[in-house]
Amino acid sequence: MAKIRKDSEGRLHFKLVYWGPSLGGKTTSLRYVYDDVEGLDKGGFTSIEDPSGRTLFFDFVPMSASGKILFDVYTVAGQTRHKHQRKVIMRGADGVLFVADSSRSMKQDNIESLQELKDIVGDVLGDQIPLVIALNKRDVDDAMSREEILKDLSLENSSIPVYETIAVKGIGVKRAFQTLSREVLLKQLYGIKTAH
Amino acid sequence: MIALKEFDRALGQVVKADSAIKKCILVDRTGLTIAHVSRYSASSVDVDGIGAIASAVFCASEEQGRNLDIGDLLMVSSEFDEGKIFAASCGRGVLCVITDPEVNIGLVRLVMKKATDDLKALLQEFLAEKPIEATAEESTSERAELEAALKELEKF
Repeated sequence: MAKIRKDSEGRLHFKLVYWGPSLGGKTTSLRYVYDDVEGLDKGGFTSIEDPSGRTLFFDFVPMSASGKILFDVYTVAGQTRHKHQRKVIMRGADGVLFVADSSRSMKQDNIESLQELKDIVGDVLGDQIPLVIALNKRDVDDAMSREEILKDLSLENSSIPVYETIAVKGIGVKRAFQTLSREVLLKQLYGIKTAH
Repeated sequence: MIALKEFDRALGQVVKADSAIKKCILVDRTGLTIAHVSRYSASSVDVDGIGAIASAVFCASEEQGRNLDIGDLLMVSSEFDEGKIFAASCGRGVLCVITDPEVNIGLVRLVMKKATDDLKALLQEFLAEKPIEATAEESTSERAELEAALKELEKF
């Protein structure tokens, strides 16, 4: 059953996590939502990164759509060696945006990253915990087709929402975030997913 | 149903225990800042961000302890040029205390021990899973907030 997370001011918090392989565009996507999407009240952008700017632990931004409803949005560090950190960040997640890298060279990384997510979250992923897929980097020369990526991820027959994104240009990013946050609220309110 | 202000009262006692204690934050293990109290109300730090880091760092240390099979984590202390941060387990949450550099560490540990005992019980109830369906009548305003947020999401 869904649970409510509140702070001492009675505000309801929902935790959204951007997950995906290393350098796939998780931080870029969140940064776009933070910098360029209007209509949300946003807190500070907290980032724990290495000297080269790669996420070392997580990024975090609290966002408010309305009054007492807050989305605590996290990204995870995508590099393989940070798997323990990812597990920590996934605790209490209410929804996940999986940011896949469309580059053909990242085919196996996408598969392994989604499998790791499934291993941590279990069968509730995409059901009790809403999942949205962002196929990022649609503009790269060696981009795989949408169908090929979804087949690789065993999602070709799934009703999970899928968006094609180009995070560096902000294309599709807002819609993916919007859909995930909406799914999470609908799940909390009615225990349902919207039809896609 | 516990009064949410109980947390502020418990954290307030920690801050009042010593003038070197500047800020006190209670977080859960998912990164949520549940409550916080500062000695100086003008303090303008990003509490939600600090809480998220405090929770993540503590939980990462716990994970490290599990991997090394060295038992439960009791406290994490971080020393900086101009201050110290202490984080201690309190059941389902983490109590984080920020102090001046010259603080009496023994006193802080004692105060935190007392506070974590108090907070443990409060958190146990506060963080208990409560399905919305079961509390629909008393949660009308929460439902209205959720519906309002849904409408707002359609706008941006």
